[in-house]
Amino acid sequence: MNARKAFLLLIVLVVLALVVIACGPAATPTPQVIKETVVVTQVVEKPGEKVVETKIVEVEKVVTPTPQPEGPVTIAFWHAYNPVETEMLTKKVIPAFEEKYPNIKVEAQAVPYNEFRKKLLTAIAGGTAPDLIRSDIIWVPELADMGALVALDELMPDFDEYKDQVFPGPLSTNYWKGHYYGLPLDTNTRILMWNKEMYEAAGITEPPTTIDEFLAVCEKIKSLGEDKYCFADGGTYGWAVLPWIWSFGGSLTDPDMTTASGYVNSPATVAAYEFLKELLDKGYLHPGILGGGVDTSGGYAQDQIANLLEGPWMPAIFEAQYPDKEIQWALMPAGDGGSISVVGGEDIVMFQQSQHKEAAAEFIRFMLSPEVQLMMADVGQVPVRMDVTDEAVQKQPYFALFFEQLKTAKARLPHPNWPKIEDLLTSTGQAILRGEKGAQEALDELAPKIDSLLATD
Amino acid sequence: MNRALRQQQIRVAYLFMLPGLIFFLTFQIYPLIKAFQISLYRWEIMPGQASQFLGLANYLRAFQDPIFWLAMRNTALYTLVTVPGQMVLAMVVALALNRLVWGRVFFRTVYYLPVITSWVVVSLLFKFLFNSQAGLINFVLKDLLHLTPNYIPWLQNPGTALIAIMTLGIWKGIGWSMVIFLAALQGIPVELHEAAAIDGASRWQRFWYVTLPIMRPTLVFVLVMLTIGGFNVFIPVYLITGGEPMHRTETILTYMYNEAFNFLDFGYGAALSYLLAAIIFVLSFLQIRFLRRPVEF
Repeated sequence: MNARKAFLLLIVLVVLALVVIACGPAATPTPQVIKETVVVTQVVEKPGEKVVETKIVEVEKVVTPTPQPEGPVTIAFWHAYNPVETEMLTKKVIPAFEEKYPNIKVEAQAVPYNEFRKKLLTAIAGGTAPDLIRSDIIWVPELADMGALVALDELMPDFDEYKDQVFPGPLSTNYWKGHYYGLPLDTNTRILMWNKEMYEAAGITEPPTTIDEFLAVCEKIKSLGEDKYCFADGGTYGWAVLPWIWSFGGSLTDPDMTTASGYVNSPATVAAYEFLKELLDKGYLHPGILGGGVDTSGGYAQDQIANLLEGPWMPAIFEAQYPDKEIQWALMPAGDGGSISVVGGEDIVMFQQSQHKEAAAEFIRFMLSPEVQLMMADVGQVPVRMDVTDEAVQKQPYFALFFEQLKTAKARLPHPNWPKIEDLLTSTGQAILRGEKGAQEALDELAPKIDSLLATD
Repeated sequence: MNRALRQQQIRVAYLFMLPGLIFFLTFQIYPLIKAFQISLYRWEIMPGQASQFLGLANYLRAFQDPIFWLAMRNTALYTLVTVPGQMVLAMVVALALNRLVWGRVFFRTVYYLPVITSWVVVSLLFKFLFNSQAGLINFVLKDLLHLTPNYIPWLQNPGTALIAIMTLGIWKGIGWSMVIFLAALQGIPVELHEAAAIDGASRWQRFWYVTLPIMRPTLVFVLVMLTIGGFNVFIPVYLITGGEPMHRTETILTYMYNEAFNFLDFGYGAALSYLLAAIIFVLSFLQIRFLRRPVEF
């Protein structure tokens, strides 16, 4: 009897968590199907000739109607800014917005990054999503594919003005199936953070500009001692391995994200993994990449790690934790594919469940204004507007190299199945670095798995 | 008259049961049924979006999923190691405590402490203990005792990571079984031991032929409960390795959690939890069916 009771309790506990998410109340705004007439210009290619056709097509659109704001409205904005950035947002940016638009109040809520996605999904399922969020760029395609987001290029008549002003790499992370579902808010990328003291001890004067030079640097660094490492990274996830893959001239898929075969197992991608394996085998790469955690900042500060790929948040961290250690920056070492790093950062996106879409759009415009972009640059956020880069560099000189790197930086696959693809990629990288499989063999096995995930819709 | 009174009493009884019943139906039965429904669909979490009915496809998918079998193997291994581990050590401690005249309450409390500490806290504690660079275990093994030339990357390798997790499971569980064993030991009539001693039974024979048979129902109870707990291992795995590396330390519940809440595959997640429930149900049934017998004096 006891066992049965316990068993019942057990099942309930197991499923309760699942169901709390699934059985929330239905969304308050009712989506409506509206028939709309749209003029479509198509280029039809017939054998030998190209004809531009204009068609009038009736399409069905699901929209959630927004009532016109009468009195003051409140919009909810969730973000995961760090405390310094949050203070700037709540003490300066939002008051300035509310002064400009007295009818709109912004309720900003700081949500820790690690809980953000789960909290957000719970809210979406319960019909209580916020109006706007500052979303990690890798979540946008997934949210868009789910039908949770408003296509901003349809909602905002002036969308193109913003689209043309921002860096194309960060912008691309908002694109899914023909529409833009957000605008970049801030951006970053990883560049080489090199350790001057260790370089000098090893008799090196300049940071490497190519991957060959990087290898030469590593050889000298290793001569400093068994416990000195040339490079360290936290794992084999996309953020870590993609700069190497791209700089070697490899890739995960074709540009249209239709197939991985021939790309993720191309000679260049294989070479990138073999390079990382070589670094690890020779003791250049810290074994922390195999998991278990590695304190990269601490290792750099204590002159045990000579190079990292890091982002623009590091100066603030070092100022607080290692004020005596100076940071040196250089571009990602170039390989056959050039010097190509990975785009990070955040987008601002609007939810279908928002009741105040026009007001929310005003806040988006405000957050993307040159003034606000520069205000946030004061606290280390790299602006996305191309017309404020010079001013931003004057405020934060170390931004200059990041802007340079951003010109060629690429985004991780903006695909709703990216979390699953990255999971496979991470495991494959582990298998290669641990020597369980050859790079070619492992990537040949990976390719069809990614292919099927790309096709799933 | 008498009958009417009885009717009324029954009605009042139901009335008193109502709050509990509503709670039970809302928070236990409804989620159970809903989760089963979810497990038959490709479940969309967006309100208003149609979920695609898949029938038993989510269940069949599990059988062809190598990570499911890996998680199954790890879960079974965890149970096979930690359940006997906890029971044997708990029995040793209980026997020792039972003989103590002074300080029994003190030591009982000390051994019970791990049981009431938070899983989250001790999981993180073990993660730090087994850390490859700065962990205490590696410090003791290499720097203090010089047993290994290099630091052991405990959490990077699936085998050693599982050792860390199972050590935690045993350490944390000893106290619970110990308290129950101790209670059972104290319930054994002292005359039985005296009689056995007079008949010339050695200490070991008395334990084997007197103590253990009397404790049989207790042992079966603890075995069943621990097996259920073992199959439900989640927090230490989730916090110490997260299933990494390469899903090699994944258990059923961590895999279910990852599929549902990370990949939003709620249908598959629900199917995995129902499969786990089915396994536990069958195991518990078999254990009770074949092991529980009335005590014979």
